[in-house]
Amino acid sequence: MIVLSDVKKRFGDVEALRGVSFTVADGQITGLLGPNGAGKTTALRIVYGVMAPDTGKASVDGLDLAADRLAAQARLGVLAHAQGLYLRLTAREHVRYSGQLHGLRGPALERRIEELAALLEMGEFLDRRADGFSQGQKLKVALARALVHDPRNVVLDEPTSGLDVAGTRAVRALLKKLRDEGRCVLFSTHVMQEVSAVCDRVVVVARGQVVADGTPEALKAATGKATLEDAFVAAIGSEEGLG
Amino acid sequence: MRWDLLGVVFKKEVLDSLRDRRTLAMVLFFPVFGPMVLAGTLSLVSREARSVDEKPVALPVVAAERAPNLMAFLAERGIEVKPAPADPAAAVRGGDADVVLEIPAEHAEALRAGRPAPVKLYLDESRRSGRASVERVKALLENYSRRIGVQRLVLRGVHPAATTALAVEEVDLATPQSRAAMLLSMLPYFLIIALFTGGMSVAIDATAGERERQSMEALLLHPVPRSAVVLGKLLATAAFAGVALLETTIGFGLVPHLVPMEAMGFSMRLEPAVLARILVLMLPLLFLVSAFILLVASRARTFRAAQSSVSFMMLVPATPGIVLGLVPVKLQSWMLAIPAFGDQLLVNRLLRGEAVEPGQMALCMASTLLWAALVAALTVRAFKDEKFLFGKA
Repeated sequence: MIVLSDVKKRFGDVEALRGVSFTVADGQITGLLGPNGAGKTTALRIVYGVMAPDTGKASVDGLDLAADRLAAQARLGVLAHAQGLYLRLTAREHVRYSGQLHGLRGPALERRIEELAALLEMGEFLDRRADGFSQGQKLKVALARALVHDPRNVVLDEPTSGLDVAGTRAVRALLKKLRDEGRCVLFSTHVMQEVSAVCDRVVVVARGQVVADGTPEALKAATGKATLEDAFVAAIGSEEGLG
Repeated sequence: MRWDLLGVVFKKEVLDSLRDRRTLAMVLFFPVFGPMVLAGTLSLVSREARSVDEKPVALPVVAAERAPNLMAFLAERGIEVKPAPADPAAAVRGGDADVVLEIPAEHAEALRAGRPAPVKLYLDESRRSGRASVERVKALLENYSRRIGVQRLVLRGVHPAATTALAVEEVDLATPQSRAAMLLSMLPYFLIIALFTGGMSVAIDATAGERERQSMEALLLHPVPRSAVVLGKLLATAAFAGVALLETTIGFGLVPHLVPMEAMGFSMRLEPAVLARILVLMLPLLFLVSAFILLVASRARTFRAAQSSVSFMMLVPATPGIVLGLVPVKLQSWMLAIPAFGDQLLVNRLLRGEAVEPGQMALCMASTLLWAALVAALTVRAFKDEKFLFGKA
């Protein structure tokens, strides 16, 4: 379970988050939906502990990110906003490095890498160096890294951006699988179809604030709109920055 | 401290760098530069020295037949008398001959009469290259003149020593050797350069490079203390810098086996025992320089900016070395507490075979280690800074 309560963050003159609160439950897929620049990435960066809020709190499974960063991070699997790879390391070495940083060692780690390689169909490029990987291959490496320690909570920043149809469908299937295993899944997107395709719950952010929070159906009902897209536009108050 | 996680970061950085050709080239080839400069200078110096003493000097002589005794004297002392070119002045001016000797027609007559017998030397004072031959010929003519003079005095019953009022002893400092002495004060700096060149590409790749490649965020979201991340990267940097230092040191150790050292005119201690002490002395500096490069590279906005600032910083520890080369400095204890400067002073002494007390070594090493810890702490702080991770954000 991931909780953000009244989180504020400012970069110079820009108020990126103006008091954001939401709770992400286990066994659900929660979509963080909002136009570009709404503060989605900042909110997620605070959740996975590479940024600290100016005020407010973030916690993972009850562990406060500020007081207990390492313990909280250990319970998170993260597909970060920036997914740069080390060009001279192979896909396997990336996943192994990540596993080792999570404290995994030896045969258990190697078995886990094989499992993930099978799950994400990485066999063909598992032992190739990352230099020259396609967008899809890079994403698979990043996903394997995020899942290597079998985390209870999974946070993904725009997991389908830059993917083709098949890749997008594969990621959606993976999210559902993670949910069905009882994990807490939080991902950000600015793509409407993504939300209707996989989300159990939607948190809509705009201009650094939560403007709607609930099931897609509840959102439609609350705004009195027939389609989710219309409901979304009604919720954020404009069509700006939508994909 | 999470040593296991530090080890994970260290191993990854080493593996990553070992696969980078540019890093390997820097680490393998740059450190050899110092020893090569030393060997090159030494062999140049010894060749010059030998050419003065051993090589026969060819001396074109106009009308050699007018002074047969002088010619015999010169030939005995390694001068190869040759027929002169038609225009001696032109030959010297054109560089065909370093010096030409002419025996004027009145020479023999004057010699017989006991008057100063004229000989004429064509030479070019402004040219450095033939200086050694010119000096040698001049000295031999002087020598010959004195001999005849002494014989004349003896014939007249005067003790030759009476003509020598001053006994001038020349100590020539402007020999080629002084260049080698200058070089000696540069040697410690070559060791410091090795640390920089060995460590810099690893350090830059692990900081500014990692950020530019956008892999830093994915690294820092792991449950790893920043101190373990930084120290892992620091140790990896130090490992490569250490290899470079070792290479340079071994290179210096090989120099005496490759070129003759006698020509230098003073002793330079490059035997294993001395070099081992130098390595021990420089161990704390290895960590300080590594931490320093890491800090500078962490603070740079881009990979390229990091490269240029680190290259610039390389000049900082050069300053004391240059000063030392120009002005002799009397060693004071407080100087040893200045990192890099103290190291260069002590390395210089060790190379000259002068006494270095354990207390001096300890002071220098402890001070440098303290600085290394401080700079490492600053680097950890830089890694905790959100601005560092997200650039201008």
